[in-house]
Amino acid sequence: MSFRQPSILPGFGLTLGFSTFFLSAIILVPLAALVMKTATMGWGDFIRVVTDPRALASYRLSFGASILAATLNSVFGFIIAWTLVRYEFPGRKIIDALIDMPFALPTAVSGIALTAVFAENGWIGQHLAPFGIKVAYTWIGVVVALTLIGLPFVVRSVQPAIAEVQRDLEDAAETLGAGRFTIFRRIVLPTVFPALATGFTLAFARAVGEYGSVIFIAGNLPMRTEITPLLIVIKLEQFDYKGAAALGFIMLTMSFVMLLSINLLQAWSRRRIVAGAR
Amino acid sequence: MSITLDQVTKRYQGSPVVNDVSLEVGEGEFYVLLGPSGSGKSTLLRAIAGLTGVDHGRIALHGNDVTHVSARQRGVGLVFQNYALFRHMTVGENIEFALKVRRMKAADRRERRKELLRLVALEGMDDRLPTQLSGGQQQRVAVARALAHKPPVLLLDEPFGALDAKIREELRRTIRQVQRELKITTVLVTHDQEEAFAMADRIGVMNLGRLLESGKPDELYARPATRFVATFLGAANLLLARQTEQGIRFGAAPVNARRVEKLDGGREQEVVAVLRPEEVELAPTRDNLRTNFIANGIVEEQVFTGAFERMRVRMADGAANAHIATPDMNGGSAPAALLDVTRTQHEQRLFPLALGQSVAIGVRRIHVLPTPLSSYTAYGSDEASCERLSQHPFLVELASRMKTRIIKRHEAPLVACDAPASAPVSGVAVIAAGQKTAEQLQWLLQNGAGEVLVLPAHSSPPQRVLIHWADDSARRSTLAVAASLLRHVAAEAVYVGILPEGTSGESQRPFGVRTLLDARSEAQAVHGLEMRTELRFGAAADELQRQLNESQDPMLILGVSDPAQLRSTFGALFTSGASYPMMIVYRPSKDTDGAGE
Repeated sequence: MSFRQPSILPGFGLTLGFSTFFLSAIILVPLAALVMKTATMGWGDFIRVVTDPRALASYRLSFGASILAATLNSVFGFIIAWTLVRYEFPGRKIIDALIDMPFALPTAVSGIALTAVFAENGWIGQHLAPFGIKVAYTWIGVVVALTLIGLPFVVRSVQPAIAEVQRDLEDAAETLGAGRFTIFRRIVLPTVFPALATGFTLAFARAVGEYGSVIFIAGNLPMRTEITPLLIVIKLEQFDYKGAAALGFIMLTMSFVMLLSINLLQAWSRRRIVAGAR
Repeated sequence: MSITLDQVTKRYQGSPVVNDVSLEVGEGEFYVLLGPSGSGKSTLLRAIAGLTGVDHGRIALHGNDVTHVSARQRGVGLVFQNYALFRHMTVGENIEFALKVRRMKAADRRERRKELLRLVALEGMDDRLPTQLSGGQQQRVAVARALAHKPPVLLLDEPFGALDAKIREELRRTIRQVQRELKITTVLVTHDQEEAFAMADRIGVMNLGRLLESGKPDELYARPATRFVATFLGAANLLLARQTEQGIRFGAAPVNARRVEKLDGGREQEVVAVLRPEEVELAPTRDNLRTNFIANGIVEEQVFTGAFERMRVRMADGAANAHIATPDMNGGSAPAALLDVTRTQHEQRLFPLALGQSVAIGVRRIHVLPTPLSSYTAYGSDEASCERLSQHPFLVELASRMKTRIIKRHEAPLVACDAPASAPVSGVAVIAAGQKTAEQLQWLLQNGAGEVLVLPAHSSPPQRVLIHWADDSARRSTLAVAASLLRHVAAEAVYVGILPEGTSGESQRPFGVRTLLDARSEAQAVHGLEMRTELRFGAAADELQRQLNESQDPMLILGVSDPAQLRSTFGALFTSGASYPMMIVYRPSKDTDGAGE
């Protein structure tokens, strides 16, 4: 339960001023620079760059794989968080610590590790190959890499929310005749949903911006396994700064729209729980 | 019967949190489970609801055994201390939850919801969210929600705990009204005795996982059978008195007592008397008292509480010796010799008192507890061994739980057991286990001891108490001692019946089983003790020894009717200084009584 209320504590002006300054310096100014750089292009050039078939394919892969990875993480991250919060078992602390590993690992390292494991002659890859499933150097590999780096965001967001679901609520529902599935769907999920949405958002945002781990496992075949950030780097290497800025602007806009809509959804669901919303 | 519990036991990491509880709650009855925190009352309630499984025993609702039925299928109505309302649902949705799960039609649901909201006086609140309601209103919603599916019984777990006094009282009235209107069998769990008195048809008092006593509120207050109930239900002074042929005496002074049981074997004995603060009379001098004088005293503390005046009076030396302890509000013990007194305004006007004033103390009426364990006396052959024994952790814990005292007495004859004791033994004698335990036991019994506690140097608190008696004439007193002791020890009780080896034939077996059942029902009916029973065949000492060795942290309660039995029948138990506590109970049987003296 978190109440966002105007505070009666002193220092409101100071903290607001500081927040504004900080956000401006770190986020707004660089973004404005990006927009301005894009603006130096003509409309025609801009449209041509951003609707290039290769660019369109990269959007599809970047956002598609990110949504898929965040969704996978929401399901499995929830289960992991649930296990960690609700059960006592030997090694719980160790697993809890392992969750944070993707945070700390340089992304290139995880990319190389994943490639080694999922390549056709890797530990897992060699068992998948007979079934005709190729992971490394396909879009599946991209999803795997993005899932890895997004997992901690979901687990860490959902853990405290699950801890907050009172056992009494589940006990009450059980005595009222609800089965396990009903308890989960009608009692647990609504309570945890805002946190789960936060986790999804963070994992998604992280996945869209991911570069390091993906370029190793994706194989970077134009039109097929090329993500937008890679395309931007390629344009930079060709000294096409304007083109890179244009693609960056498109990513920015799409990400912003998606994050905003998730935030609105979250606020709507939270409003049903917090008082005084009528 | 609406709710029947039969020897329900729930263990947590080996030790029982609910210990052999048997209970019957009648149709439409309002039953209150009262006990301090950690007494197992909430666990018992959860067991009835099916949210906690039991390790032993049976639970039945309206005659149907539900011991292995899930909480979902039992469908009792349960109300929690923290309301446990679904915060993302409106009041109406909360109440309809159980109906929706049961796929009731929307129109019927709405009708039932309206009816329930009227019942708890919350009409028109359907669309509010729980967080928009006050605590009292939320708990009303919780009650309505628990009643929606017409549950077989209603269970309330400290439902007023989070509310302030005024709302609490109002909600109590509402719940009592709803309960009467629906005639639904209800069990309420609380630690608040005032609440218990205000609501209950019957009260059951729990402590250390055991249901100590169960009865109508006024009966429990007037005639408690245990120290715990006496001091937990209302305030009480516990005094040591002597029961003689002429009646109950406090020091030299006779006092009025409610219904006292006959003396056992005609011997004088120490008893525990309950003196309620309102049964104390204070007067300027002894001659002004209209009741039996017991001691002089000085007013040491005085609190005005509106209708009553509460005070503490320190008794003058002689009498102070007989006073055990007064539990204070926090459950601890105030120093001995302070007597709790309450006086009405009428009494205050007749005899105004100030701090430090000396008064004569009179007693209108006392109630004598049937417990055979009054106080403990640590015996040793010299001062050092007495001192060591009196510090024994188990003894100290027992004495503090029983709110009684430990006296130290060193008796040189204890070494050789050849000369008589300097004074007759009274209360429970305590000795340290050693090579000569058997001789020392016999010596103590011959010098007037009725109960002897034998303590090994190191022992953990017992988890399993084995009970056995040598012959039927020792049964009654052994059960009484076991019942008293087990109220203060969180252990399981098992009666071990032993038949000689040759009797394992078909004809003897029913006899043995009948003895066990008789023992169990007598323990239950007369002493309120729930125990399990086991039947063994063989030599008594060997079988007991085997059982004791198999149990983790055991204790033995052994009853004899002749001191010689200790060596002739049970000698094997004492040869190698025991590693577990033992309580020996001795009451001369009628015929040996005549021959011996």
